[in-house]
Amino acid sequence: MDKRIRRLGIFLTILFVVLFLQLNNIQVLQASSLNNKPGNVLTASSTSNEPRGQIVSRNGTVLAKSIPVSDQYHYLRVYPDGPLYADVTGFDSLIYGTSGIESSYNQYLVAQPNPIKSLSDIFSSQQKYVTDTVVSTISAKLQAEAAKALGSLEGAVVAIDPTTGAILAMYSNPTYNPNLLSMHNASKVEAAWHTYQTDPNQPMLDRATSRAYPPGSTFKIVTTSAIFDHAPQIASQVFPYQTQITLPNTVNTLSNYAHESCGGPLALLLAVSCDTAYAQIGMQLGAQSLYNEAYSFGFNQVPPLDIPGVAAAQFPKASSFARNIPGLAYSAIGQENVAATALQMALVGAGIANRGAIMAPHLMSQIRNYQDQIVKNYVPKIWKQATSAATASQVSQLMVGVVKNGTAQGIAIPGVEIAAKTGTAQTNLAASSNLSLSGSDNWMVAFAPAQSPKIAIAVVVPSQKGLSFNSTGAQYAGPVVKSMIQTALGLS
Amino acid sequence: MSSGNLLTTPDTESSGWRTRLHLGSKNRRRSTELGLLIISIVITVSAYIIAALGKTATIPGNIVPILVALLVLSLTAHVGTRILAPNADPVMLPIASLLNGLGFVMITRLDYHEAILQALWSAVGVFGYLLALYFIRNSSILDRYRYLLGVAGIALLMMPLVPKLGVNISGVRLWIHLGPLTFQPVEAAKLMLAIFFSSYFVEKREVLGHPIGGDKKVTLVEFRALGPIFAAWGISLLIMTAERDVGFSLLIFLIFIITLWLATSRKTYLILGGVLFGLGTITASLIFYHVRERLIVWFNPWKYATTIGYQLIQGQFALGFGGVGGTGLGRGHPTIIPVVASDYIFAAIGEEMGLLGTTAIVFAFLLIVGAGLRAALRARNDFSKLLAASFTAIIGLQSFFIMAGIVRLLPLTGVTLPFVAYGGSSLVANYILIAVLMRISHEGNS
Repeated sequence: MDKRIRRLGIFLTILFVVLFLQLNNIQVLQASSLNNKPGNVLTASSTSNEPRGQIVSRNGTVLAKSIPVSDQYHYLRVYPDGPLYADVTGFDSLIYGTSGIESSYNQYLVAQPNPIKSLSDIFSSQQKYVTDTVVSTISAKLQAEAAKALGSLEGAVVAIDPTTGAILAMYSNPTYNPNLLSMHNASKVEAAWHTYQTDPNQPMLDRATSRAYPPGSTFKIVTTSAIFDHAPQIASQVFPYQTQITLPNTVNTLSNYAHESCGGPLALLLAVSCDTAYAQIGMQLGAQSLYNEAYSFGFNQVPPLDIPGVAAAQFPKASSFARNIPGLAYSAIGQENVAATALQMALVGAGIANRGAIMAPHLMSQIRNYQDQIVKNYVPKIWKQATSAATASQVSQLMVGVVKNGTAQGIAIPGVEIAAKTGTAQTNLAASSNLSLSGSDNWMVAFAPAQSPKIAIAVVVPSQKGLSFNSTGAQYAGPVVKSMIQTALGLS
Repeated sequence: MSSGNLLTTPDTESSGWRTRLHLGSKNRRRSTELGLLIISIVITVSAYIIAALGKTATIPGNIVPILVALLVLSLTAHVGTRILAPNADPVMLPIASLLNGLGFVMITRLDYHEAILQALWSAVGVFGYLLALYFIRNSSILDRYRYLLGVAGIALLMMPLVPKLGVNISGVRLWIHLGPLTFQPVEAAKLMLAIFFSSYFVEKREVLGHPIGGDKKVTLVEFRALGPIFAAWGISLLIMTAERDVGFSLLIFLIFIITLWLATSRKTYLILGGVLFGLGTITASLIFYHVRERLIVWFNPWKYATTIGYQLIQGQFALGFGGVGGTGLGRGHPTIIPVVASDYIFAAIGEEMGLLGTTAIVFAFLLIVGAGLRAALRARNDFSKLLAASFTAIIGLQSFFIMAGIVRLLPLTGVTLPFVAYGGSSLVANYILIAVLMRISHEGNS
């Protein structure tokens, strides 16, 4: 029996050694990745009695900073213009952890011990901690303009530099005040959190990146691109003037906005946003081509934006249309089961603007240390080669036509060539008869100047109370796009 | 081996005690134990002060009574051991006392109310330790009462199922109400059943160890050999399903298999046992959500970080946050973890004392295992040998299960960390377990 008792001893020893190894794994090897996981409240609460790095805009406007206070935590996180940048900076809460840049760049924002370089440093009264500064890509001017232009409308604005993928503005309305979540008074923080979470207007929902809406006719940018990539013969086709078409295998009809009659060559179809023609184009392209095009523009993939919580846009699998050809017709005009975030539609615009290449969207441009030296510099990279430069150029010209003599004439600015597409997605046909809630999600996607784009924008104003009956993207999203372009190009 | 052997005799007459106590000062094992106990007290008291400083920046007002209580308890246990089991291993008691002490420090830091109860239960535990040493003068006494203990063990296991007596706590039906107290009968049952297994298998090992096949009575031998294993399997499955507890059912079944293997040397039992438990677990996880939930969370806790995986994830955060050196006692936030004082005290130690603290705990248990198995190897008869080995396996496996669950080596089983975690039944049962090991060690060294 002694032999077996010794074996039992060896067995138990092995178990404990494995346990010891796993403890080393968790407490040493994985420690820093665990500390930086979103939702790790420990990191937030421990570092609160040390200063935390600043988050600044591209021109140096302070978006978040730590100020010394006299309570037990010594430092309070402050957001000077909190609600305006809430979805960019995120919050840093003792109770609810971190979000936004506060979460994704936490490892740079936490304080590091001030390196001791000489003996005298030990005795001098210099700061015990030093912090890095995260320089974001956000333009304070454009961000403010986005909020001002949206006003009281619920919705989101995303503006991107199409050549680099730098996010210039990212705003969601209604918004929340991160200062209320970073306070040190736990019961006040809990009360604020509870209020935000139970508010039916969902102020903490980031409509720019986390919420997908049917993109409506702005999706025709993708459909048009698919024509040149997969079935160029359609580009020279002339479509008959129709007010409605009957969908295959059904008695259902698909009619144009306000039952207008439209048709003609492709340039005209995009300019007036002709649903009946584009529905036929979708069916001609076929499910696989349309799906492939949507995928190459980034649908069904999470854009690699450097903050947590980004949602993927949705385009149904090609096979789902096998028994649902009418569904394909609706999908080609961005309805039914197609849904996209404002970020995704801005990326679609940016891809066309940037000769078919969608640059990876990002919010961090640089990380600088306490001596203002660059610790990390963002290097632009391509996220998706959405289409060829030739196709992008064709689509771009057609989108210029939308502003020159189509549905987006309202945003025309003298002397600037703007490319744009409007979108009005009827979310619920039954709801359109209900005057209290307009049944349309109103969109516009644009970039300018068309030849050498500096800004690509997507604006969504989802259906909400107070919109006019038969609201349109041109009506609600258009003015926001126009003022953003004016600000970006210094014309306002 | 020891100079103490010459100075003491294993007689049990009370007239001899005084002499032994007197001579005991020359007993090297007990002197070592006293020295180790003093170290354990110094560590515990320092930790207690540091934790209070870390939490409130003041030296706790009750430090003197705490110090006195610790000294009195430790010295009572020590003197009792000097009288009742002078030749027993010198390491086990100080380690148990250290684990108990550090556990108490953590619990005080987590929940003052529970700390007071834990202090009372520690006193009861030490008292139980002494009573066990006093009444179990000879380990063979336990051999004599095996059926009584076996029946009592099974009865205790079933008690939580009795309506009005049993209580559900967080979905597990392991507790019973006795007036104002709740206790976990399975903690006592594990000891009784291990005694029963050891005694029964030592006597029947000829039959149980008989190779299957080979003579006429094949079927009879097979039945005799396999009957108990199926019975134990059934009982452990019953606990798993009716009381919704995976940890103890696994523990008791493993103790059964290990004891059987130690007694008979037949590896078939290990293999068969493993297969049966695997089948049982798979079936149970298919039928019962509470079993399946543990497996789901084990495989992918991040997916359920805010729901069923919350406790596990917060435990991981705590361990990672502690890093190598820990935050310092009283400086972390272990109370974020649900039921931290009983289930997750190991993670709290990992957060505030770091890898150094968790490693100390792991090796403390390894030292107890070493001391227990040494006692088993030196035990005088086969029953004591087997009993010491199975008791050691209990403390080794139970501590491994909960620590491995917290670090995600195993699915989480809700067993307590012996001596450290909050819980009276666990504390008292484990002190009695140590007493029995000390008794066997004393016999072997005498």
